[in-house]
Amino acid sequence: MEQATIVLIGFAPLALIAIGLVPSAVANRAARAMLGAAQIATLCAFGVMLVSAAVFFTTRTEAAWQAPWLGGVGVGATLYYDALSAVIGLLVSFVGVLVIRYSRHYLDGDPAQGRFVKWLCLTLAAVLTLTISGNLLQFTLAWVASSLCLHQLLVFYGDRRAARLAARKKFIASRLGDVSLIAAMTLVYQTFGSLDFQAVFEAADAVRETSMVPPQVHAIAMFLVVGAMLKSAQFPFHGWLTEVMETPTPVSALLHAGIINAGGFLILRWSDVVSLSIPALEMLAVVGGFTALFGSVVMLTQTSVKVSLAWSTIAQMGFMMLQCGLGAFSAAALHIVAHSLYKAHAFLSAGSVIDISRASWVARPHGKPHPGRLGFALAGAVGLTWLVSAAFGASLTRAPGVFALGAILVMGVTHLVANAIDERPSAFVILRGVGLAAAVAVAYFALQLSAESIMAGSLPEKQALRGPLDLTIVGLVIVLFGAVTVLQNTMPYRMSEPRWRALYVHLFNGLYVNALTNRLVARWWPVDETPNAHGARA
Amino acid sequence: MSRELATQLTPTTSMEAELPASASYTTVGGRPSRDLVPVLAKVRSRIAPLWPLQSFVAVNPFLGLADEPFEIAVQTLKRRTGANMLMTRDYYRKLHRAGRITEADLREALQASSEVFGGLASVDELLDKLAEPAPKPTGASFATIADLLDQAGTGQATRNVVEDVSKWCAAYWDDGQSAWRMPWRHLPFYEAWRSAASIDRTAEVMGFQGFREIVAELPSDPVETIAFVLDVLEVPDDVIEPYLHRALFTVKGWAAYARYLGWHAELEGEQDDTVTELLAVRLAWEYALFQLNPDAEFRAQWHDALWHMQSVVRDEPRDPGSVVDSILHRAFEAAYRRELLGGLQPPALPSIGKRKTLQAAFCIDVRSEVYRRALESVTPAVGTTGFAGFFGIPIEVVPLGQSGGVAQCPVLLKPKFLVKESLAGADDAEVTEVLGVRLLRRRAARAWKSFKSSAVSSFVYVETAGLAFAGKLVGDALGLTRPVTDPNTDGLPSEALPRIAPEIEVGALGPRATGLSTEARVDLAEGMLRAMSMTKGFARLVMLTGHGSTTVNNPHASSYHCGACGGNPGHTNARVGAAILNDPDVRAALRERGITIPHDTWFIGALHDTTTDEVTVYDYANVPESHQSHLEEVRQWLDQASVLARAERSQSLGIHGSNVDAQVIARSQDWSQVRPEWGLARNAAFIAAPRSRTAGLNLGGRVFLHDYDWRQDGQWNVLELILTAPVVVASWINLQYFGSAADPEAFGSGNKVLQNVVGTLGVLEGNGGDLRVGLPSQAVHDGRDLVHEPLRLQVVIEAPTDAIDMILDRHDNVRQLVDNGWLYLIALDDQGTARMRAAGLRGWAETGSPASA
Repeated sequence: MEQATIVLIGFAPLALIAIGLVPSAVANRAARAMLGAAQIATLCAFGVMLVSAAVFFTTRTEAAWQAPWLGGVGVGATLYYDALSAVIGLLVSFVGVLVIRYSRHYLDGDPAQGRFVKWLCLTLAAVLTLTISGNLLQFTLAWVASSLCLHQLLVFYGDRRAARLAARKKFIASRLGDVSLIAAMTLVYQTFGSLDFQAVFEAADAVRETSMVPPQVHAIAMFLVVGAMLKSAQFPFHGWLTEVMETPTPVSALLHAGIINAGGFLILRWSDVVSLSIPALEMLAVVGGFTALFGSVVMLTQTSVKVSLAWSTIAQMGFMMLQCGLGAFSAAALHIVAHSLYKAHAFLSAGSVIDISRASWVARPHGKPHPGRLGFALAGAVGLTWLVSAAFGASLTRAPGVFALGAILVMGVTHLVANAIDERPSAFVILRGVGLAAAVAVAYFALQLSAESIMAGSLPEKQALRGPLDLTIVGLVIVLFGAVTVLQNTMPYRMSEPRWRALYVHLFNGLYVNALTNRLVARWWPVDETPNAHGARA
Repeated sequence: MSRELATQLTPTTSMEAELPASASYTTVGGRPSRDLVPVLAKVRSRIAPLWPLQSFVAVNPFLGLADEPFEIAVQTLKRRTGANMLMTRDYYRKLHRAGRITEADLREALQASSEVFGGLASVDELLDKLAEPAPKPTGASFATIADLLDQAGTGQATRNVVEDVSKWCAAYWDDGQSAWRMPWRHLPFYEAWRSAASIDRTAEVMGFQGFREIVAELPSDPVETIAFVLDVLEVPDDVIEPYLHRALFTVKGWAAYARYLGWHAELEGEQDDTVTELLAVRLAWEYALFQLNPDAEFRAQWHDALWHMQSVVRDEPRDPGSVVDSILHRAFEAAYRRELLGGLQPPALPSIGKRKTLQAAFCIDVRSEVYRRALESVTPAVGTTGFAGFFGIPIEVVPLGQSGGVAQCPVLLKPKFLVKESLAGADDAEVTEVLGVRLLRRRAARAWKSFKSSAVSSFVYVETAGLAFAGKLVGDALGLTRPVTDPNTDGLPSEALPRIAPEIEVGALGPRATGLSTEARVDLAEGMLRAMSMTKGFARLVMLTGHGSTTVNNPHASSYHCGACGGNPGHTNARVGAAILNDPDVRAALRERGITIPHDTWFIGALHDTTTDEVTVYDYANVPESHQSHLEEVRQWLDQASVLARAERSQSLGIHGSNVDAQVIARSQDWSQVRPEWGLARNAAFIAAPRSRTAGLNLGGRVFLHDYDWRQDGQWNVLELILTAPVVVASWINLQYFGSAADPEAFGSGNKVLQNVVGTLGVLEGNGGDLRVGLPSQAVHDGRDLVHEPLRLQVVIEAPTDAIDMILDRHDNVRQLVDNGWLYLIALDDQGTARMRAAGLRGWAETGSPASA
């Protein structure tokens, strides 16, 4: 059963690759056939992932299935399938089915629809391969391939200069990430003598037993973290993500629901190693935490739907990295899945924003809300969260990371309740708000506990407090996230002060990181005015 | 060859030659400043308004050029902006090869063009031109500082300027996307921009060192700023208007939105300066770029450019390629006119047939033509007629629970009456209860939305609600669920939905009066019936049919709705119309005014869904017992007609297979569908005549059909109405499609798959740039070929030419459209002769035959 399933899993990306090998010119002529084939291939891939996950979780006797396919001595193509692969593989193949289906009518009539499907299939194949890779070399190749295939989709309308500029920025960030990953790979081979996941993870567990973490392991962890930050658009490498609106919407959906997760996936996959290095975790927490706040506040100022969504992704990826940095790996895995589904839907339904705005006709707030509403809401939220967490037998104080994340839950719930207590408090709205808040808290704990149990064996246990810097980070997270919550709930009433206005302008411009990147690219590697032979082959 | 042709064509007057006189020096605020007001008014009028996506009605993108003949406007626009109003040579060549353009058409076009261009070339010459490869496109002759920098360097200047201006326009006018809004929205735009620009470091980061100081040097008044910059740049008087037009055109999308914001003020004769504010911002950038490039070489280039612009203003050089293309284009239109007029039926004697069971009035919209033909083919017991889809009822409709409404009438009018939605058969208590529930649900939904989209809570939202989107994704992908709730029914209890009905009884909503008094109803009823030429021979059932479309996930949804209802579905107007005409008091008063509606005639309101071709009949409960069986029969006919209409339309939608109906309907629920229907694509003509002229003809969904019988129109009131309202609206629609097809970059909104809705009011294409105007490319193009053929509207009216001339003399704006060739006006007479009013000259000539000269 296990062996049969393993063989099956290998076929999931292969079918997609087969479609991707059709030459563009042929694909364009036979767009309908391409779409039909791609639809079957993605459905098959999803089916395979579904069956494998079912078999894996019902018969799970060991943490992971491992099967060598090619090569040996720690280098080659190997399958590594564990709870994480199962969940992410399912996610990626699900999104794959959706974007292929969506592209059928969305790009109907486009003379290059066949080519679009071709590269969509190849990109999906690369990401799927990534999720089931059992060897770092193979993983790295899939990692690089996913970004090169995506590049072809980013320059799908290669005659658009803006598309080429955005793709170039992404290209530069990706290659830097590749370098970081390759450096990590080299060090892994030097340190552990193998690139095989199982072998390396076992060696890492051995290191954990000893109290001394060798410096090479810190270096590996750092390179992995930098690679992940570049892939997942963390500050200050986030600029490219807000500019890839030059590609058709389904690509944005795939990018934001599939590819962008690769950075987080890298950390989770290598969490046995990364968690050995406290500096690496702290870096993740600091960069992730900053990106989360930065991204989510900038999002508030943005004026177009897709750019807002992109900033939201930056923030959500930051939050996921923060969770990793705080040692809450299963929470990060849950965040990846939940965010992907939410964001895929948000992009694919971006055209509905006019409907949403037409439905949002409740009059804008008049006057100030009750001064005590934040206090009421906070008291209510703390009580609610405590009650629900006790009911689930979850303790927020068990680990610092969990404590910080729990605090953020409280803030979210506070915000929800505070907004229900608006200018004309009404029992119905408040009750509905409190009801929703209670549902949120219940869902939160139920999902967290499920994620933890599903990911058990794949991801390290939650981390205990590791030192004073950790404590500082946890403290900072709580204070800063709290400050932003308060800021946002009081914002409309104090925005006339000059310093807030100035802050608005700087944040509206994303702290000018993108303008600077544009200038640097224009100076060192300018994009041609007219498409070159490589850019556009329509 | 082309040079010869060009030199034969003598220039006629244009704005450029007239304007300098109006620009003189005065003193404003102690500083030398020009009296720019008339010039600025002219520049402002050059930009056509852009309606927001909530009510995206069609606008003639060439509105500001209508005072010039079409062929001259082609040249003006080309010189000033580089934009094209014509198709490529290849396009015409293909039409000629395919036999659609004949030599006779070429001859006719050449002759007609001579009236505009004042010269003549031979058909052989034209044929030579057709055989030649297409001439290289020429750019604009007028330049901004940014253009000049682009020509010299990397092409970044204009792009950066547009990016910056567009960014702040979006922040300033954002209608609901951002939660943290621009803090200077209460100030006029120019002042708001200056406040933001004094903080914004973007320009400096991009390399424009000292940008903020330079902006601070500018006057705080927009007009003074424009005058100041023009002085610094030493723009000669006669170049000012084209130069400003050129500069404004680089941000024409936002300028168009600004013009929309001032539209109602302008309708009331007030002046609105929003566009001027925007122009001042654009010129502030010109000034900054000028100051940032102080080197002598660049300054010399600018002086050369100014000198060149001045010579262009003086000589008005014509682009010979587009002169030829405009003749070829005219030939294409002559070819279509030949086909159209050749097919029309001879005038019929007024028939005294059997009384019809159903008279169905539809909107003149070209999509009704297909359905009307289908319905008439189902049974001879049905007659159809065409009229503007708001049925002459200019109302503002307030949805249930809301305090403000939407104007459901053509944008050229202001709504005269307020009609609120209510629940049929409900007492006050019940209405209040439903309203209360809707309001509370909305507030709870708002709290949830804030939870979803706020800075910190959004993380919690994702972790708790994110997984639920797996099911939503599957439902939406299969078309089982709607991506977001329908805004029209959002928050309402489902059992209340079928009972929602417009309330025409007089009432109040806050300080405003609602409903229609009996006098108002009688006036509306009389106006409607006379304008429809429906004053006798009423059928048992008369159906007033508005239209709307069903699409999901489509930012341009309102562009498929009824333009005559302000970009909304027209069922409310139809229902109000039917209710008025069923009112016994109204009928009694109408009898006194000479219109007798039989006792056994009943009016019903209905909606034609143009995406699915289904017709929904409203207010069943009010239909008298005596008419129920007829209504049953009618429902069956309507369903049969729907099947026929879907079968016809499915061909142009590329639908194959047996389950045509299901496939057509699926398009209306498909969130990935970029062409749910073809809208008004391929529209090309407007016919105002009795239906007998077009009965039985397949007009291919290309014609606006307005029923009109001039014999019943003693004072020519109806003719005047038709020429000044539906014809103008149809021409706006026609030219919107024309522009979006001919130059999608300049007058279209780009590729739908790249569109990004900004400020919940308009779209950008891709990452940014200017706000886009017009239609998405998918609305006119199937990916391989243009589906919409850009043809100026052929307006065919059965009426005496004297009467038409009299009306045109009264209405300059319509006369301009006709005489400047923005549409063709053809009169039919009782003998079946078609005469066309010649462009540029007074007088009528039989079409297809040589002109009198």
